[in-house]
Parts: sequence; C-alpha cells; structure tokens
Amino acid sequence: MSRIETLKRLEQTLESFLERAVFVKAERIRVLGGINRLDDIARKAVDGGDPTDSIGQWFAEHNRLRDTGAFTPAEQHRISDLLGEIRRELRVNEQSSPAINKIASEIERWRQTPTSTGVKLVLKRGPEVAEPTGEEPTIAKFHSTLDKISALFADKSATKKHLLSVLDDSLKSATLQKSPDALILSGLLVYYLKLNGYKVDPFVKRLKEAEQIQKQDGVRHAE
Amino acid sequence: MLNSSEKAYCKALEALERKQFREAMRYLDAAAPFFLTNQEFGLLHQTTRLLCLVKTELAALEVETTRTK
Repeated sequence: MSRIETLKRLEQTLESFLERAVFVKAERIRVLGGINRLDDIARKAVDGGDPTDSIGQWFAEHNRLRDTGAFTPAEQHRISDLLGEIRRELRVNEQSSPAINKIASEIERWRQTPTSTGVKLVLKRGPEVAEPTGEEPTIAKFHSTLDKISALFADKSATKKHLLSVLDDSLKSATLQKSPDALILSGLLVYYLKLNGYKVDPFVKRLKEAEQIQKQDGVRHAE
Repeated sequence: MLNSSEKAYCKALEALERKQFREAMRYLDAAAPFFLTNQEFGLLHQTTRLLCLVKTELAALEVETTRTK
C-alpha cells in the first residue's frame, strides 16, 4: 500500500471516529450551543444592546429542549444566571413595551419553574386473569423470548465495537427480515441508550417503521 | 457568564459537527488550558490534531505527485 493510500485510510478512520463521537453528543452540542448563544445575548445586553428580539428567538428555539429535560441541573443553573443578567438590563417599568414585559415574564417563568425530569413512562394493564389452560403461560413465553434476544444480541455484538452499531444491525433485521426478536431487541437497546443520555430520536423513528412493517406483514399473513 | 475556553469548546463541537476540522482545531487549541484534565476533551483534541496533520501531509504528497507526473 502506498503512503498516500495509508494516509487516506487513516484520514477516513479519524473522520469516522470524530463523526461518531459528535453524533452521540448531538443533543449535548445543541444544549451547549444554546447556552453559548444565551451568553452572547447576555454580554450584548450588559454592553447596552437591546436583547428583546434575540432572547425571544432563543426562547422559541429552546423551550422544547427544556420541556424534554435536556438541560442538566448545572446547565439550568447557568441558564438562570444568564437570564438573571439579561433581566437586570431590561429595566422593566410602566412605560416598557409589551414585548419587553413579555420577555421579562418569560424569563421569570424559566427561572422559577423546575425543569422536567424527562418523559414519564406509564405502564397500564388490565385486571389480572388466570392463564387459559392449554396455552403457554406468559412468563414462560417471555423467558423464552428473552433467551432468544440474548442469543441474537450475542451474535450481533460479536463483530461490533459500539452498541449503536448493534442497534443499527438489529433494526435492519427487524425491517428487512421482519424478525420479531430483532424488533424487541431494538426497542430494548433504544431504551437503554436513551437512559444513558444518547440521542435516540432517529432510532425511535426506525423502530416505529419496523414495527409498522411487521404489523402490515402480520395482517397480510392473516388475510 | 461563560469563560472564553468554555465558549471555544462549544464552538469547536459545532465546527466538528459541520466537519470544519481546521476551524475546530483552532477552537480546541484555545479551549485546551481550561480542559487539561478532561479525558473526553483530550481525545477529541488529539484526534482532530492528528486528522489535521494527516490532511496537511496528504495535500503535500498530492502536490508532489502532480509535479512529478
């Protein structure tokens, strides 16, 4: 292999590593970028600039992040401090414009309302009934499924270096091979990654698509 | 307020997301003194540095190859 080819391979490997490193931090980057922008707005306000438009736009872009609990307590604290700086520069009084009054009240709302701690998961089920005789009990069925998805995970993870690659492969099996076990494994991995702070939105979308495909396939087989 | 190193790190991450590696390198260099003990920062910093060096070397080799043809 020539020196150029070797360097090109190394270039691809390094770019791919950075791409993945940034991908798993995508939500953190949005959060940090947002705090950085708020800091710019606060600095301008302290220097005598009018923050009304830019802070209004910032709220519009970041309300969703806040509602989904994307900010850590430390980040929320920093945001509150920055909003406090901006609030001090607004100098709200009886002659203030409605826009300034609105921004001031929005700042107070942000500073006073506790952040969401994430999406609440509610599990519901009907009243417990005895298993119909002649059918495999649900606990045994689940146990058997758990064994199968454990084996599937062992197969898929053997050649992968990151859980995201295992999830990607599992979603492909759920979509293309319509494997119900791969669908359950994918759901489990998505939930695990979400709990560990990964951005899982694109995988949730693919999971729903795979589920839809399997449902349609089930309907076709039933017909 | 954020300090200049924290601001530089935010901008470096955004530049990496856009694959603007040399721009990211400038911001990572600026942020480095504040993040000396942060392993994740160190990994991103050194990987980006190596990538920029590889790109520089590749560009030089390609110019050399074109000249000799």
